[in-house]
Amino acid sequence: MAETLQNLALGFGVALAPGVLLYAFVGCLVGTLVGVLPGVGPLAGISLLLPATFGLDATRAIVLLAGIYYGAMYGGSTTSILMRIPGEAASVMTCIDGYEMARRGRAGAALAIAAVGSFVAGTLSVVALMLLAPPLANFALRLGPPENFALLLLGLLVLAYMSGGSMLKSLAMASLGLMLGMVGIDPMSGYFRFAFGVVELGDGIGVVPLAVGLFGIAEVLVTAGKPTPPLVQQPRLRELLPSREEWRQSVGPIGRGTLLGFLIGIIPGSAHIISSFVSYAVERRLSRRPEEFGRGAVAGVAGPESANNAATSGAFVPMLALGVPSGPIPAVMLAALMVHGVSPGPLLIQQAPALFWGFIASMYVGNLMLLILNLPLVGLFVNVLRVPYGFLYPAIVVFCVLGVYAVNGSMVDVWIAVTMGVLGWLLRMLQFETAPIVLGAILAPLLEMSLRQSLAMSDGHYGIFVTRPLTATLLAVGVLLLLLGLRASIARGLDWRGRLALAEKGDQS
Amino acid sequence: MSRFASIVLVLAACLAGPAGGALAQEPFPSRPITLVAPFPPGGVADLTARPVAAALERTLKNPVGVVNKTGAAGAVGMQFVATSKPDGYTLLLALSSISIIPEADKLFGRPPAFTVDQFAPIALISADPTILVVRTESPWKTAKEFIEDASKKPGQISYSSSGIYGTLHMAMELLSHAAGIKLRHVPHSGAGPALTALLGGHVDALASGPAVVLPHIKSGKLRALAGWGESRVAALPEVPTFKELGYPGAEFYIWAGVFAPKGTPEPVLARLREGLRAAVADPEFKAAMDKLETPIAFKQGEDFARFFAADAKRLSDGVRMVGKIEEKK
Repeated sequence: MAETLQNLALGFGVALAPGVLLYAFVGCLVGTLVGVLPGVGPLAGISLLLPATFGLDATRAIVLLAGIYYGAMYGGSTTSILMRIPGEAASVMTCIDGYEMARRGRAGAALAIAAVGSFVAGTLSVVALMLLAPPLANFALRLGPPENFALLLLGLLVLAYMSGGSMLKSLAMASLGLMLGMVGIDPMSGYFRFAFGVVELGDGIGVVPLAVGLFGIAEVLVTAGKPTPPLVQQPRLRELLPSREEWRQSVGPIGRGTLLGFLIGIIPGSAHIISSFVSYAVERRLSRRPEEFGRGAVAGVAGPESANNAATSGAFVPMLALGVPSGPIPAVMLAALMVHGVSPGPLLIQQAPALFWGFIASMYVGNLMLLILNLPLVGLFVNVLRVPYGFLYPAIVVFCVLGVYAVNGSMVDVWIAVTMGVLGWLLRMLQFETAPIVLGAILAPLLEMSLRQSLAMSDGHYGIFVTRPLTATLLAVGVLLLLLGLRASIARGLDWRGRLALAEKGDQS
Repeated sequence: MSRFASIVLVLAACLAGPAGGALAQEPFPSRPITLVAPFPPGGVADLTARPVAAALERTLKNPVGVVNKTGAAGAVGMQFVATSKPDGYTLLLALSSISIIPEADKLFGRPPAFTVDQFAPIALISADPTILVVRTESPWKTAKEFIEDASKKPGQISYSSSGIYGTLHMAMELLSHAAGIKLRHVPHSGAGPALTALLGGHVDALASGPAVVLPHIKSGKLRALAGWGESRVAALPEVPTFKELGYPGAEFYIWAGVFAPKGTPEPVLARLREGLRAAVADPEFKAAMDKLETPIAFKQGEDFARFFAADAKRLSDGVRMVGKIEEKK
């Protein structure tokens, strides 16, 4: 412990040097901006700035890039809450309850809770990263394809809790998402599936065009189709801050979101996105008033926003301790280290202590900076709602298209987003929720890859899922959860879902 | 930021296109050149393309921008350059996959996204042999033990790769063919996850570029058994090559080279070759490649054409050897 403190002191010495501090700030600022812009997420932001870091030293480069990564998680909530457009894919869940809060005049409160939740999660998870990185990284290595498969299967169960109302509609949407996730080159045999000769579809349907289309563009279409335009909101200053009651409701979700996010972040894949979905489902399951979710539940903002921030720290665990990437974003950051002649690997902590501890310390500093940066911005951003829709919505469409195009420089992505926008509009008109489509499309390729890798490992024997203790345990938990869910709905006859459906019927009549 | 700059460059190049045609006699280069990296930032192609572009910019005294045009394992970017105007202003930084993709398309009987003869090779920048690594606690101390054990239990020793028909997959298939062994292939989504799978004990072996596994060899987690190169890897002088061990068929390089679309006028190609030759001698370029631990292996003209042809033959043989993965009966 004393050693850790000593190392941390070394780290703060590095991180508080004016040069490094400046780059941490620039990273956080750019991160917030790419987070706010629809579609442009941390991966696009980091890729854009990667070449610019080649002229810096390794510490500054990595501090800058990490700032973009976790900064984007702060910024991503802004447009989700104000306009129901995910600033980046991990903010899809925030769109649902955050936007509902905004519609009830609580936009400021939602933004403030998202910022504070992100701060708490960011800071606590850096503590965990600092103390637990090496043992956790070795544990993460033991998660092979069969374990990933079991974990992702648990993620699929989460789908059932994703949305209110009709379970049937929810599952139909999830299936649609899973099917969309099957488009692209078959990972095990190289066949093109459902690509219709379009080379660009070889990589499948991207999460960004899908999410921006289903949420952003669809929302614009839905609003435009209303007979009377919605009233322009006039947020007042004293309504900006969350009430005592709202704070009370967010403490638990922030804590759980942090823990969940960090643990899921360690697992390879698009962890920050999945963590926000899981956190939302957990909060809904634990809530005493699950029917409030989807109608502006504070926990539905606090949980996912904390989880996606904690997941970014979790993702650094295998990267820093072992030099192996846990996803596309850490992979780009590893490349940045290599460009500077730092060979990332198990020896990094010993060979470059100033870099490692400087990086850790800069994350404490960066999270504080982001809080200070974002809280005053709440007042500014909320004023976006004052803009008349006739001006605001065309601008939103422009930003959606630009954001989607910027990710891969591909027009095919733009067409996907537009198609998904129209599809999303149709589905919204028919009272379907679109979030399960996004989760399904994210999970499908991961689930398929891990299942087929497992079977390749075992030469086609399904026994691999029960002979590995960790896999068997995870699958058993899944079965247990499923049975518990079934029992509850059989025993009580009507769970919250049923009550909600009844309440909705009451609303309509 | 430089990506925006490069997008601007491309736009500028497009606008200038028709005008350039009218003035056929203008000296080359007189407007910005675009170097397309068909893979995302941070990958081998991108990390090689950036120092190449920077050095070429200095030697040609003309702006050179890198554009990442990614998708479908590189096919999108390669197709883009293959169908670009052959004027020397759109170049491609390609990896070995340039020979693999058309062959795989042929295998599946689908219209190819592009073919190798749509390109004019300009110069080879780097060529790094893959090396065979296993975990330190594995029973195989030498490549000979590994191959003997594999021939005793066909299809039981597993290896990870960066993806089906990917470079790391091809290297292993060439070895399997040369040594007459059968290994079990577990594809992963990239070289990073493939290495993670080996470190975590989920597969037994991996063919990998030297730079990424060196830290793990140094820390004692992995053991290098042999290399696919014509000669030994400088950083691992005690590790033999498969050629030395009597398997000359197991030759494979992860290489990066610069190509132009076919039909680019010879004077333009000559100017580019000259520019690239000066660029690889540039001290800043050398320093950048050193940091990546990627040895420069410059070849141009006939030399590169011969290397490229031999490599393409090895790879297309490899793809055909793997064949189409059919459903198990």
